[in-house]
Amino acid sequence: MTLITVLITLLTLAAVTYLLSLVNSKLGAYFTIVTSLATIVMLFLIKDSIGQSYSLSFFTFKLTTVGWYFSMVMVTVYFTTAFLNPFWIKKMIYPAAYNLFFLVSLIGTIGMFFARDFITLFICWETVVWTSTFIIQMGKSRKSSYVYYVVSAIGSMVTLFAMMLVYQVSGTLEISTAFSALSGQPVLALIVFFTFILAGLSKIGIFPFHVWLPMAHGSAPHTFSPVLSGGLVKMGAFIAYLSVTAFAAYEVFANTFTIMGIPAPLYIIMVLGAISIVVGTVMAIRQDDAKKLLAYSSVANGGYILIGILLYDQIAFAGGMLHLISHALASATAFITIAIVAYRTGTTKMSELGGMIHRMPVTYTVYLIAIISMAGIPPMGGFVSKWLILQGLADRGLLFLAAAAFFGSIGSFMYVFRPLSAVFLGQLAPKYEKIKEANIMMQIPMYLLTIATLLVGVFPNVVLRVIADIQLEAGIQEIVLVGNTIVVSNGVLDALRVFIVFGYGFLIALVIFILRRKSRRVTLMDTYTSAEFIHTPELLHYSSNFYAPFERLTKKPYPVLNLYEKVSIKIKEIGHMAESLFSSSKPAITIFWIIIVFAIFFLGGVL
Amino acid sequence: MNNPVLLIVIPLLLAFLSVIIKKAGKWLLLVGLLFNTALAFFITTGETIIGGFAPPYGINLVVDQFTLVGVILINTLMLITIVVSFDLVGKYSIVLLTALAGINGMLLTGDLFNLFVFMEITVIAAYILSAQAKKYHHTITYLVIGSVGSVLYLLGIILLYNLTGSLNMADVAAKLPLLTTKELLVPVLLIFIGIGVEVKLMPVSGWVKGVYSNANRLIAPLFASVIAGTALFVFGKLFVSVLPVSDTLTLLMLIMSVMTFVFGEFAAFNQKRVKNILLYSSIGQAGLVTALFISGLVYAAVILLISNVISKLIMFTIAGAFTEKYETDDYESLNGVFVHNKFTGIAFTIAALSMAGIPLLIGFYAKLNILIGFFQAQNYVLPAIILLMAIVEGAYIIKLLLALWAPGKEGQVSEKSFAVEKKQLLSVKNTIICLIVALVIIAGGVLIDITEKVVTDGQPLLGDQSPSFTISQSKGGE
Amino acid sequence: MIRVASLLLLMIGLYGLLSTRNVIKMIISINIMELGVNIFIVSIGFVTNGVAPILTSQVNSSLSNFVDPLPQALVLTSIVIGLGITALGLAFARKLYKKYGTYDLAKIGGMKDE
Repeated sequence: MTLITVLITLLTLAAVTYLLSLVNSKLGAYFTIVTSLATIVMLFLIKDSIGQSYSLSFFTFKLTTVGWYFSMVMVTVYFTTAFLNPFWIKKMIYPAAYNLFFLVSLIGTIGMFFARDFITLFICWETVVWTSTFIIQMGKSRKSSYVYYVVSAIGSMVTLFAMMLVYQVSGTLEISTAFSALSGQPVLALIVFFTFILAGLSKIGIFPFHVWLPMAHGSAPHTFSPVLSGGLVKMGAFIAYLSVTAFAAYEVFANTFTIMGIPAPLYIIMVLGAISIVVGTVMAIRQDDAKKLLAYSSVANGGYILIGILLYDQIAFAGGMLHLISHALASATAFITIAIVAYRTGTTKMSELGGMIHRMPVTYTVYLIAIISMAGIPPMGGFVSKWLILQGLADRGLLFLAAAAFFGSIGSFMYVFRPLSAVFLGQLAPKYEKIKEANIMMQIPMYLLTIATLLVGVFPNVVLRVIADIQLEAGIQEIVLVGNTIVVSNGVLDALRVFIVFGYGFLIALVIFILRRKSRRVTLMDTYTSAEFIHTPELLHYSSNFYAPFERLTKKPYPVLNLYEKVSIKIKEIGHMAESLFSSSKPAITIFWIIIVFAIFFLGGVL
Repeated sequence: MNNPVLLIVIPLLLAFLSVIIKKAGKWLLLVGLLFNTALAFFITTGETIIGGFAPPYGINLVVDQFTLVGVILINTLMLITIVVSFDLVGKYSIVLLTALAGINGMLLTGDLFNLFVFMEITVIAAYILSAQAKKYHHTITYLVIGSVGSVLYLLGIILLYNLTGSLNMADVAAKLPLLTTKELLVPVLLIFIGIGVEVKLMPVSGWVKGVYSNANRLIAPLFASVIAGTALFVFGKLFVSVLPVSDTLTLLMLIMSVMTFVFGEFAAFNQKRVKNILLYSSIGQAGLVTALFISGLVYAAVILLISNVISKLIMFTIAGAFTEKYETDDYESLNGVFVHNKFTGIAFTIAALSMAGIPLLIGFYAKLNILIGFFQAQNYVLPAIILLMAIVEGAYIIKLLLALWAPGKEGQVSEKSFAVEKKQLLSVKNTIICLIVALVIIAGGVLIDITEKVVTDGQPLLGDQSPSFTISQSKGGE
Repeated sequence: MIRVASLLLLMIGLYGLLSTRNVIKMIISINIMELGVNIFIVSIGFVTNGVAPILTSQVNSSLSNFVDPLPQALVLTSIVIGLGITALGLAFARKLYKKYGTYDLAKIGGMKDE
């Protein structure tokens, strides 16, 4: 089974899905589940062919471990999210197109990860961009789809410039060899580095290109947000990966100005990543809408992944790659649970929800596990990856970045806790007395994801062995794995032991809880304050204005979106000026311009 | 029987006939178009002498690969335009047949003054067609600017005649290298501005907004696709093979073209009506094509030309249908119009995405060739400008598409109930034609080897030496 | 000398276009421009001491000093084209007047019927 067969089969299945959806959209939605499962199966089947190259017309592909790893992460997210498709498909304005674009974007990402030359990479990248743009528009906001496309286009076009520049210098389009022609030209290499990585930065959502994330993830259809956040941002991480491996940034910039051992250009990008961590965390804490909050958390986690990959060393690189999968799982799970809550209640605004644990305990537990992972608390996967990244940063003495990373970790606890307590804990509003737990089809992905998160947390070496292969491929020292432990310069991490310790702690807490007296249940509207009757009990709902002191503290962030809007307005003004100067209802103006042009030409020609 | 003169003469004959047999006007038009399109495929490269006087004293029709591509493309596009909007032809069949003759004349001729004559024939037909919208002040503006342009062009070729003693294009091309820049400055400039009026270069494109934005489903694609394409082909022939220009002149003309490109795209970003967006996009792209011709990247220019002209055909037809059925083409008032017209929407979207440069469509192939061509010539500024403008183009095209496909205000999930009233935009026959044309856009972008073979037939167009993007190049550069 | 005069006519025509808002005056200015160009074209063909390029009983050798006949032919065509455009322009001007009641383009541009 070759990669080409896989891709063609998938495309055929996508076409079949589209046709089925035209007949019955729910059937088509179920078929997306089948197709994504088929993708997982086929990816496992081709795992043994790693190292081979394929080509079809002007596309060329090469099976690499890193491509396989990224594809598996992506397809896991797609597969689990696909289970939600049948429940939302009736509400979509274009159900057949949704199903088709859902699958085509998956195929596009796989094609991209295995691309061997720039054009294949670009074509697959753009396919994902436009299919996801058309899916996002089916949600709540057209503006977010537009901003998504524009920021993505900024990244794509600048990267296309870099690719073509490299092609002209080196004469080849093959990714792994083309960049080597830059080793003798520092200025050119600098330009190529910053322009090439731009697509990656805009896709991960690194400051200042993060503006589209909260808008798009927040208002995309509920079944696509998990894919956007857990999956598609990883495409950007792939570009970052290419910039340290294929572009060999460390070698190319070996003779330039270095900051604490890291070449300046790379350090600048890492600083941007650090700023994203801080900005993402702070903005996440302020949000009231659960999906926007999770979107900002994707910004922050993107920063971690970027820093990890760019450090390109034994420990932090492995941490960055591991964070890829642990964040993908955690983020997808969190979005799925919020989607399920929204399905039952109709809203994602946390100030309107509360007490869901009473009606949806399974969803609550799944969400809890997801946020434990996202916050980087053991025994979940997020802990291992963040720990590795922090180890790497601390080892190299990168204080500013390490401080940002620590801040992100602590802050992440604040923002993941908010949806938990606002949505699930607290008091159940009377209007939600009758809602039911998620049905079986929706529970399956939750179980799958939870098991996966636990697996990555307790037995991280399963994934880390693949990452070690990647490190071998990339030419850096592999992370040292002994049995179930990870050996780093500062010590040893045995995840299983950590899990067992936490398990004991959990058991002790459980016992205490069972033995003690239960609390008395009070309904939400049964409040009493100093003999005053309350007319607006909703405002006293404890999840409205949840972090009020913190929000007062960070009152005036300058939205970067304003910057984009100003540029857009300036362009419109110039357009308007051009229009009024050159197109008017008086031909006299045209004659005037002809005379001016003549004058300029004469001056220019005579000189 | 495959004499290129017939391409010009038969439509003229049919035009005269349709004056006599008024009732059969529309059918004569159809017959003329079918004949022309069929004949276009059978013409071979070569030279045809008119009137028995050999060049350089007589007039001749020159057919080379470049001209062949132009003739086939433009005739086919005009056929499609008329077939799609056959119901709107009305009394214009005479004018349309005359325009057809004029267009073919412009493409085929090998003589500068003959070009002037055919240009005037076409332009007069265009004036009459633009009056269809009954907005006479725009027609007058067009007429005035067009007349100034043609006067300047005439002055230019007379000065050239004064310098070289000939009006034949090939002859002039042979004699020009002997002249100095100072002598050439004025004639070349005059010709540039004269052709620039039809090509829509920025200082002289004042007429475009009035004429294009009020044109209906028949006239708008005719202007934006057929006449615009012809003008660009003529520009290409003149400025690549006839008027070799020195560096100063090239630089100045390039600046004007690039300014047209930048200002056109910026102006398009500012528009609210679909036709206005499209017309400024046409102006911008025309600026880009002229810049490519001036820089010598002929293949890239031709591919971009083909991609633009085909896309604009679909897009202007559908935009004309908007005005026809909904009385407006403000895209915010047309929120969700494609919900009820999915296939029309698909054709429009494919054409629009091709303009935005989405891969696997011919617009992207054009972009690749442009980039490769400029980088090969070690020109880095222009590709940077082109790519930055591509972001602007993508922005306004996606904004347009989003408004047309997904109804609903901000904050509301898109639902069918928010869309505009349900009306059928295009008849079934027209939708199928648009989809077939859209298929060509996809085929051109995917089967790039076939595209290259069809366009160049193995020979470099107009002696173009620049590289193009081929499949072998992507396979590791072997 | 003639050439300068004809170019002067061209300039006057251009000036006319620049300075007027009346459609009829614009068309007249275009005519003046075309007149200037036509005279210029004919003057290009002038050869000193040349005779009209017609073979008559006195001038019956094709080696005589003829004035260039080509520009004269061009001018004939150009005059006809100018005629066509003027006729068309005036027809549209009349239609314009019937619709808006004025020949002033600036006033029409300001009218709501844009």
